Amino acid sequence: MPEELRALRERKRLSLNQLASKSGISIATLLEYEKGEREIPPLDLRRLAKTLYVNEWDINPRSSPPPPAPRQERPAGPPPPRERRPPEGPPRERPPQEKQPPKVAPARDTQIAHLLTLAARFNVDRAALEAEIGKPLDQLTQKEARLWNGRFMHRIAEEQPPRQAIDRKRAYLPEGVDRFEVAYLQAQQEAAAPLHFTLFNGQAFEGTMVGFGPYHITIREPGGDEITLNKLAIAYYRRAGGEG
Amino acid sequence: MSLGDELRYLRAFRGGDNLREVEEQVGLQPGALRTMEQRYRRVGEDDEVLAKVAAFYDVPLERLQFHRERYRKALSAVLQQAKESGAVACFELRTGETLSGRVQWWDLGAFGLEPQGGGPLIVVQRHAILDWPTAGKLPTCPPSA
Repeated sequence: MPEELRALRERKRLSLNQLASKSGISIATLLEYEKGEREIPPLDLRRLAKTLYVNEWDINPRSSPPPPAPRQERPAGPPPPRERRPPEGPPRERPPQEKQPPKVAPARDTQIAHLLTLAARFNVDRAALEAEIGKPLDQLTQKEARLWNGRFMHRIAEEQPPRQAIDRKRAYLPEGVDRFEVAYLQAQQEAAAPLHFTLFNGQAFEGTMVGFGPYHITIREPGGDEITLNKLAIAYYRRAGGEG
Repeated sequence: MSLGDELRYLRAFRGGDNLREVEEQVGLQPGALRTMEQRYRRVGEDDEVLAKVAAFYDVPLERLQFHRERYRKALSAVLQQAKESGAVACFELRTGETLSGRVQWWDLGAFGLEPQGGGPLIVVQRHAILDWPTAGKLPTCPPSA
């Protein structure tokens, strides 16, 4: 009996976030599936089944929409009047508030200092900077100081040469990869080159490669037989005959 | 061959028992044998544990101790050194053969060896290497090799 995605997820004690990160399906999409707004397509069904350790047919691809949230029943008729607390003592009068102009924070000392440092990189001294800004630095607001700092930073960024992509070098021991052997095997497979395998027990096999995986290599012998060799049993192999 | 490769080899020869089954029969903590089989660094410090494993597989303890010193990281260092220097290196295989040549590349499971006498590149499975000189020395070939 297929189960609904939400029920299945909850049974597996996974949050939406966890299921999304494990399955590679966005939370928004998962929510649509769970609410029954969309049917789960076969590809996502496969992903979800794999993530939840169930079969694809264990998941109902079209969830039924959730029941509406229960509402508190209110008796018919106009709403009851709210109780008002009697005022305690004479009513307070609010003093009439005058609209005050918004406060403008002056620039911080650190902003000014930073601005001067940045300007100095372009040989602009305080007087020249004030002339460029159009007012003394002491009268700058925080917002203006931020703006001018940003302008100078932008100029610095423009003048700097573009950064080279960082060439990260792995530690010199690439135990985490098997790309060299894979590349070699792929090249031999594409070239349909016959390979000669020597096993631990001294047995030898020769044939063209049909396929390979992390633990096995399958070859086709000259007679047409296919043999899968366990890599654990292989001591070494090489191209039969010619160079390579 | 590292201790891990040797243990995998022995387990395969016994018919490929499940790791957990072996751990239970030997009396090891769950995961202990897995660690010994899979780690790249030196493992099997505890000779008492190693003796239990040796008894289970019916092999001498010295054999496992021999492989303990030939851990995968050590072979990696030797292969890298041989590759960088371009010198001819020798490797003793479990088959009883000795292969000599220049290391062209190496990775997780194998390395490419250009044979000293010429011929096609030989892809040697790392778990097939029985021995090589340790202590940072290159596996130099004896004159006859």
